[in-house]
Amino acid sequence: MMLKAFLLGCIAFLGKCDLATGTNQLQRPIILGPLVGLVLGDLDAGIKIGATLELAFLGSYSVGAFIPPNVIVGGVLGTAFAIVTGKGPAVAFTMAFPIALLAVAIDNIFFSLVRPLLGKVADNYAEKGNVHMVSVIHMATGFLTCTVLFLMVFIGFSVGSDAMKKFVEAIPAVITNGLTIATGLLPGIGFAMLAQMIMNKKVVPFFFLGFVLSAYFKLPVVGIALLGLIIIFTTIDFTGKKTQLATDVVEEDDDDDF
Amino acid sequence: MTSKVGTPINAENGGVITEKDLVRMFWRSLPMEFSWHYERQMHMGFEFMVGPALKKIYKDDPEGLKEALHRNLEFFNCTAHVTPFIGGITLAMEEMNRANDDFDASSINAVKAALMGPLSGIGDSLILGTLRVLAVGIGTSLAIKGNILGPILFFLIFNIPTFILRYVCAIKGYELGANYLEKVQASGLMEKFMLAAAILGVMVIGGMTNELVVAKTALKIGSGKSATQIQSVLDGIMPGLLPLAATAIYYKLLQKKTNVILMIIGTAIFGIICAQFGILAA
Repeated sequence: MMLKAFLLGCIAFLGKCDLATGTNQLQRPIILGPLVGLVLGDLDAGIKIGATLELAFLGSYSVGAFIPPNVIVGGVLGTAFAIVTGKGPAVAFTMAFPIALLAVAIDNIFFSLVRPLLGKVADNYAEKGNVHMVSVIHMATGFLTCTVLFLMVFIGFSVGSDAMKKFVEAIPAVITNGLTIATGLLPGIGFAMLAQMIMNKKVVPFFFLGFVLSAYFKLPVVGIALLGLIIIFTTIDFTGKKTQLATDVVEEDDDDDF
Repeated sequence: MTSKVGTPINAENGGVITEKDLVRMFWRSLPMEFSWHYERQMHMGFEFMVGPALKKIYKDDPEGLKEALHRNLEFFNCTAHVTPFIGGITLAMEEMNRANDDFDASSINAVKAALMGPLSGIGDSLILGTLRVLAVGIGTSLAIKGNILGPILFFLIFNIPTFILRYVCAIKGYELGANYLEKVQASGLMEKFMLAAAILGVMVIGGMTNELVVAKTALKIGSGKSATQIQSVLDGIMPGLLPLAATAIYYKLLQKKTNVILMIIGTAIFGIICAQFGILAA
């Protein structure tokens, strides 16, 4: 039990190292879920629950200065409790979301108080021209947070898993069914957020093209992406730059038309 | 630009930065967001990235080094994967600052600040808006069936292009200096690239809206065996109508700047209400 809690804590620590190794998505539920599955002896459930949580937390992604719910602590504990209680993906989000909200509250203490203070310490070393110590503080600041996440998951799992089992069994069916419905709808928030970043009048029809291809023709996402590439290469003239260099005269004629 | 690894790229103008230094900067750009905070955001990450190179540039000028370290600990925030580009430009300018006494050092932070916004705009939409969608779409469609290739492909699809991009950014940022964005923008290539990415991105989002947003009604008209399932009526009008409607509502709410966390909580409550009255099926 303690060993499992320790290993799950290590998964959370590793997840946070996402930001030390190139913001490479290591922290996402789709990656951490299978690892949790391995620790708890049910890889298959870990993969499936990870995918479900990935979609439910699709919109929980840091863009600009938006701090999303903590998907690491929420994802790891949510997946773990769902596997331990044997309730599967449906219950995972019910567990993961409140935990993620609680964890981000702790995160925010670091983001708004602890880290800015460490930034001041880095300033002092910069004044002295000490490059090495500025680097040390930068990395230490990150690893401190990793350690905090380790503790949250370690304590959460060792204290919680028995209590969680009883708690989950006590939840009325209407709540679990309701949250299953919500889990189905939630990826919509993520897609809406992503669409908002790139949507403009020119590309709106292509959104519906993708939708229709999937809804009527049952084309998988990979197929839609490949079709998208074909459309791009047949309709957009990427070689415009070359013709501009080679035939400046022709380009000038074009400009006159406007 | 016939640079070898060991010789300074910009030696004719008194530069000391070699390709090896830029490769080192690429590696040191990886923990960019590791110490992010609200006040100055990625400032320590940026200093971590350029620190050793600054030390090299201001090797015989301790006062200059202190000023440079101070300067590069100012506010910084950008899509992490393209930050080496700004790092490269910064180093090119720091070298100019070291070589010319009348160089206005404040222009370094001005250029950094001017690049953060546009580069984040491009980076967020290409990397987070398009590439991440592709990775999630392909990864989850496999993983949801329990296929271990799902997480693996998710990781590779996101990381192979972003690591290459990071590397190219580190080299090109330094080589081409501050005019690069201007050049690319003037040629119109960036605009076409953005359009292409947007087309690919929204098509995939469109497909995923149907495939991965799940909403089916449990309502019936009539009772017993003669009951008409509303869902089959809806499917007759258009398959995936409810997922599309749900996503459209979320989109409108986001445009009205609704808090995302409230939307998630609202969805949970809505789900429970639907379960209670059998409006949607679990």
